[in-house]
Amino acid sequence: MRVSAQAFWVVKAGNSDSEYEDAYCPKKSPRDQDKTCFRFAVADGATETSFSGIWAKQLVRSFCNDRLDVTSIGGGLRDLQQRWSMNVRRRPLPWYAEEKVRIGAFAALLGVALHDDSCLEDPHEWRAIGLGDSCLVQMRGEEVLVRFPLDNSASFTNRPHLLSSNPAYNRQVIEHLCSIKGTWDHGDVFYLMTDALACWFMREVEEGRRPWSILRDVGPYGEIKPFREWVGELRADRAIRNDDVTLLRVVIE
Amino acid sequence: MPYNAEVSRANPSCFLFLIDQSGSMSDPFGGRESNRSKADGVADAINRLLQNLVIKCAKEEGVRDYYHVGVLGYGAHMGPAFTGALAGKELVPVSEIGNMPARIEERTKKVDDGAGGLVDQTIRFPIWFDPVANGGTPMCQALDRAHSILQAWLAQHPGCFPPIVINITDGEATDGNPSAAADAIRKLSSQDGGVLLFNLHLSSQRASPIEFPDNEDGLPDQFAQLLFRLSSPLPAYMRNIAQQEEYPVSESTRGFAFNANMVAVIRFLDIGTRPSDLR
Repeated sequence: MRVSAQAFWVVKAGNSDSEYEDAYCPKKSPRDQDKTCFRFAVADGATETSFSGIWAKQLVRSFCNDRLDVTSIGGGLRDLQQRWSMNVRRRPLPWYAEEKVRIGAFAALLGVALHDDSCLEDPHEWRAIGLGDSCLVQMRGEEVLVRFPLDNSASFTNRPHLLSSNPAYNRQVIEHLCSIKGTWDHGDVFYLMTDALACWFMREVEEGRRPWSILRDVGPYGEIKPFREWVGELRADRAIRNDDVTLLRVVIE
Repeated sequence: MPYNAEVSRANPSCFLFLIDQSGSMSDPFGGRESNRSKADGVADAINRLLQNLVIKCAKEEGVRDYYHVGVLGYGAHMGPAFTGALAGKELVPVSEIGNMPARIEERTKKVDDGAGGLVDQTIRFPIWFDPVANGGTPMCQALDRAHSILQAWLAQHPGCFPPIVINITDGEATDGNPSAAADAIRKLSSQDGGVLLFNLHLSSQRASPIEFPDNEDGLPDQFAQLLFRLSSPLPAYMRNIAQQEEYPVSESTRGFAFNANMVAVIRFLDIGTRPSDLR
């Protein structure tokens, strides 16, 4: 199994790059191709909460380091929450920032683990978890095999269920955690997208277009500039919501 | 009109609060046996609204100026009601409100510990306004002043999300019927929709709180009925969020509350992704 991954991101128009609140992991295409499992994740920190970019980064790293179980993320969360809390309380905060810390940070998380392991019942198995509106699409040639966890553009709202750095908010949210498994084949492409791009993708499919052909070809060598120009055009045409946008393109060769 | 303009630092919107500081506000709030006055209720309502608005716009680096905010008081005097460094200013960026409360009190709050229990937590509660009750109730004058402030704002920000006016009062105007002045405010508009005028009625009547009614039949007196009629219907996007929060809403639902608070309106504002479990 040879896997390559390319990440593309652009911050919400009007914000600076330092205000980017999505996250993705890994940062670079995997060098070590001899592994039996490759893990990829994107997360999307909620605009209305503070320090959510830090929280989103912690979540994707933790997933990719296999500290969040693919079928149940309950176990690894407490450590992450404590780390987040220590991280953001390092310096004195004004009253409003303190209140935001008390509420906690929130983020959508999508993670996928691609296995190549003869010990498994299906050696070519993949498993994914999703909470919120970041989405996974599996393509085989011209066929959309999987859209997960949302599968249509109408499902996207501004109020998704999100993972919180505050344990008090996660008790009910964990009920909304989705998981899925499938099998991969050589040549398959997986797209991990945060919500604005995922919603655009679903709508394009619903309207009979082939959005995967654009995602497959944009920035063929991982260059970010063509991607940013293309998202800029979508925004100008109001075809996509103005939000941070992240795409992780994973190709199984 | 759509009410879907993006609220951002480059395209901010505007909040104008009108607070009744007249002599009648010294009467008990919510029943004769109450030990709180309506003026206490007004101070509590405006402080909570400002606190929630600032928190809504707060990020780790500070408060983002998604809104410009004004507070007009009406009683013995009518005009901008801020004190201290903000005194005399009609509209200020929300970051200045966040950074310049008159004082910050410490209060204890019971919060969920995430393991099924409650723990005491000390929180800092900013205060901008103390209770004031003095003079007549020049509500028409206050609405006229609000009209001229918003007219100037809209001339400078024609593409903004429509400004929201929240009038906090016992409804007993002493300078005439406020209907025409309220109507003039609701007729102001940006390219994105008409100005929204909401009313929060704080009354001495002992009656259950009412939030966002869709008709005036169940309202307890003629002041509540008048303020209901002066209030804008909730735009569709706010109705959707209200519905998600399990308020029973219809197309006739108006931005009116009786002896309640209007903090829900701040939750209804859309500045980006908001976790669905946050209330």
